[in-house]
Amino acid sequence: MSDVVKTFGSTRALDGLDLEVETGEVHGYLGPNGSGKTVTIRVLLGLLRPDSGRSEMLGGDPWHDAVDLHRRIAYVPGDVNLWPNLSGGEIIDLLARLRGGVDPRLRDELVERLQLDPRKKSSTYSKGNRQKVALVAALASHVELLLLDEPTAGLDPLMESVFQSCILEAAAEGRTVLLSSHILAEVETLCDRLTIIRHGRAVQHGTLAELRALTRTSIAVATNRPIERLDSLAGVHNIRTDDGAVRFDVDGADLDGALRHVTSFGVRSLVSRPPTLEELFLRHYDDDLATDQPSNSTP
Amino acid sequence: MTATAERLPVAHRRSPRRPAQDRLVGVTQLVRLVLRRDRTRLAIWVGAIVGIVVASEASITGLYDTQAELDQYGALVRDNAALIVQAGPGYGLDDPTTGAVLMNELSIWTIITVAVMSIFMTVRHTRGDEETERAELVRAAPIGRHARLAATLLGVFVANAVIAIGVVLSLLAYDLPTMGSLAFGSALLLAGVLYAGVAAVSAQVASSARSARALAGAVLAASFVVRAVGDVRGGTLSWLSPLGWAQGIRAYADERWWVHALTITATVLLVVGAVTLEARRDFGAGLVPQRPGRASAAPSLRTPLALAVRLQRGALIGWIVGVALISFFYGIVADQAESIIEDNPDMADFFAQLGQASITDAFLATSVLMLALTASGFTIASMLRLRTEEAAQRADFVLATATTRARWVWSHALVAAAGTVILMVVVGASLGAGLALMTGDLGHVPRLVAASAVMVPAMLVLASATLAICGLAPRWSITAWGMLAVAVVIGLLATLLKLPHWLVMVSPFTHVPPIPAAPFELLPLLLLGATAALITAIGLGAYERRDIS
Ligand SMILES: Nc1ncnc2c1ncn2[C@@H]1O[C@H](COP(=O)(O)OP(=O)(O)OP(=O)(O)O)[C@@H](O)[C@H]1O
Ligand SMILES: [Mg+2]
Repeated sequence: MSDVVKTFGSTRALDGLDLEVETGEVHGYLGPNGSGKTVTIRVLLGLLRPDSGRSEMLGGDPWHDAVDLHRRIAYVPGDVNLWPNLSGGEIIDLLARLRGGVDPRLRDELVERLQLDPRKKSSTYSKGNRQKVALVAALASHVELLLLDEPTAGLDPLMESVFQSCILEAAAEGRTVLLSSHILAEVETLCDRLTIIRHGRAVQHGTLAELRALTRTSIAVATNRPIERLDSLAGVHNIRTDDGAVRFDVDGADLDGALRHVTSFGVRSLVSRPPTLEELFLRHYDDDLATDQPSNSTP
Repeated sequence: MTATAERLPVAHRRSPRRPAQDRLVGVTQLVRLVLRRDRTRLAIWVGAIVGIVVASEASITGLYDTQAELDQYGALVRDNAALIVQAGPGYGLDDPTTGAVLMNELSIWTIITVAVMSIFMTVRHTRGDEETERAELVRAAPIGRHARLAATLLGVFVANAVIAIGVVLSLLAYDLPTMGSLAFGSALLLAGVLYAGVAAVSAQVASSARSARALAGAVLAASFVVRAVGDVRGGTLSWLSPLGWAQGIRAYADERWWVHALTITATVLLVVGAVTLEARRDFGAGLVPQRPGRASAAPSLRTPLALAVRLQRGALIGWIVGVALISFFYGIVADQAESIIEDNPDMADFFAQLGQASITDAFLATSVLMLALTASGFTIASMLRLRTEEAAQRADFVLATATTRARWVWSHALVAAAGTVILMVVVGASLGAGLALMTGDLGHVPRLVAASAVMVPAMLVLASATLAICGLAPRWSITAWGMLAVAVVIGLLATLLKLPHWLVMVSPFTHVPPIPAAPFELLPLLLLGATAALITAIGLGAYERRDIS
């Protein structure tokens, strides 16, 4: 997708969004509430018609070629509403058949693994169980692309791990996955690359390692001689001294220069901590934090 | 803990309180919430009901302004079984006053309308809410177990009271006697609250809001039939029907106030029943338990159409049983209509004015129209599934598979259309069967099936208009019901309200030949069919272009 705009009245839900998911990868899609993740996925499903911009999915246009594309994709919504008087099993079969076919062996295996009782009427399912129905329906047919919108909301930790192994298997089979999520650990385990969206724009994308490199590493170092001219180095911030150690944060790109400089003063001990995913995120989630740091964006 | 406790209503703080009161904590706020959420709907109901009452008063007082005219009306209508079925026992028509005539023309429809309003409102705020996450939010707040039910019933009471006051004021404005006006107003109020009680019980028993409405609606339909049979057969049976009680107050005809005691007692029993049942059942579940379903789908459940059929099957069966019973009953009484003409020369004149048709045929034609308007309730509800499915985001699931929008829209449209045809064939066949039972002439069956079937094109116009509304302005889909209400008013009250010609022509039913009272005509049916096709195309076009959300 490139430069996609979608407005609802005066709300600009997508405001020039660029998103690229490569074939065969698990792509994490992150962003604060209301940033436009669900809208993006609904545009990709051809349910919403973007105001402008270009989008392409599996070589087709999501709006015009919806039906052909839909045979090759499966979708799990964030809010799963099912037909109250159909049983879970019926819904799974129906959706898979509407898509073009169900693999009964795979379906039964998934039902088993996710511990879903397919005979219950869906009005009596709990939230987590409704989610499971949607997951089984999506995973039970061999599609090329999975569009998952917060698919694990409501799953217990055990089921969450079953879900993760299902996705890893899907990825191993060469399927592409777009996974919108708020659960960082899940993204960290599953995703090859990720995109962070804010106010309808992609603010960062790349592999986890790339994103880490873009962020500051915290260094705590004790040296034989006091470090001179540290504050004049490029990319070094937040210098403070305590217990004889100097602590500072350094931009990923300037890490090498900073370390060379520091070692020339005789390092006694050095602790470096890479940014956690949380830190990566919170920068983009929180307005104040985001403005106080330089905005890095890979091309 | 202390921080939150500060903000909770005073009533919630731990203090020695009687448990009975605890169960009602929060009622006041909830009543306000109920009325606030319904303010637009209520304004429409109140406006429509009071408006029609006022228009009828204007019309009746204008039409029958001398005693001679009133006497003539009484002579025509009294003892006419067919009209008694439709309107009621006709209290006071032996010595008719304007009030008595007005009650005969108007009272039963007004009572049924407030009952329907009360049923919808009660189910929406009890069972209907439980199907959304809303009620759980409310329930999780410091709110007593029965507070929601109590608040709903109070809200319905207020709504009915506003209508009753409006009606009484309008009656007094037309110089009708104070006692009779108060009697009718209070009967309306109490009948509305009684059916709210019926709906409250249904809401506990049924397994979904939809079936709760159906159950309460069935009770209302049964009340109508019981009272109609009772009124024709001298009145005893009518004492078993709340509609019979509401009319039994005899407004403007030597009022019997004690009849209210029956309504009030029944209402109290219903409310106590609902509260008892509510205390026993789980949140979100009915008393009738859900049976486990199939572990995998039947082989036939593989198309959007199969899904639409599956979703609407239950509702359609309910409608079929309902209209079959009412139609059969109308068929039985139609025969009695005939006997009246022989010993009542006035009656002969009356129907001579209607044209060449026999009294039975005129009655049958009116019945077919009324039943078609009733069955249109299915047509519209079925078509509105498009909107419900979309709003509940279930449409997303289907549209995210290899299903085109057109195919999805057609799946529901076909169910609505086919269901309509089935219902009208059932109406005709049951009407004919009832009449055949009395006359021994099976020839009535095909004749009445034809009479009912010609209504289908008009009903399809309503269906297509509903589709178009859902396609063009999904947020306004509820106005489809307004369309039906207009068709009902035009179809049944056009003469009474002296509606202008152009307005009457708006209703598709106006253009249907009233068989068997008039000969068959093909052209209007073709035109109605073409209109429906055109509107459907517009609706489909809109669906192809717009966002699904
Ligand atoms: N149908 C709609 N009509 C109007 N506004 C909408 C509609 N759908 C989405 N929006 C708006 O678009 C914005 C993006 O919403 P979206 O649902 O994509 O957020 P999200 O990133 O999925 O958030 P969450 O993490 O909470 O799921 C929000 O401001 C939302 O209010
Ligand atoms: Mg979302």
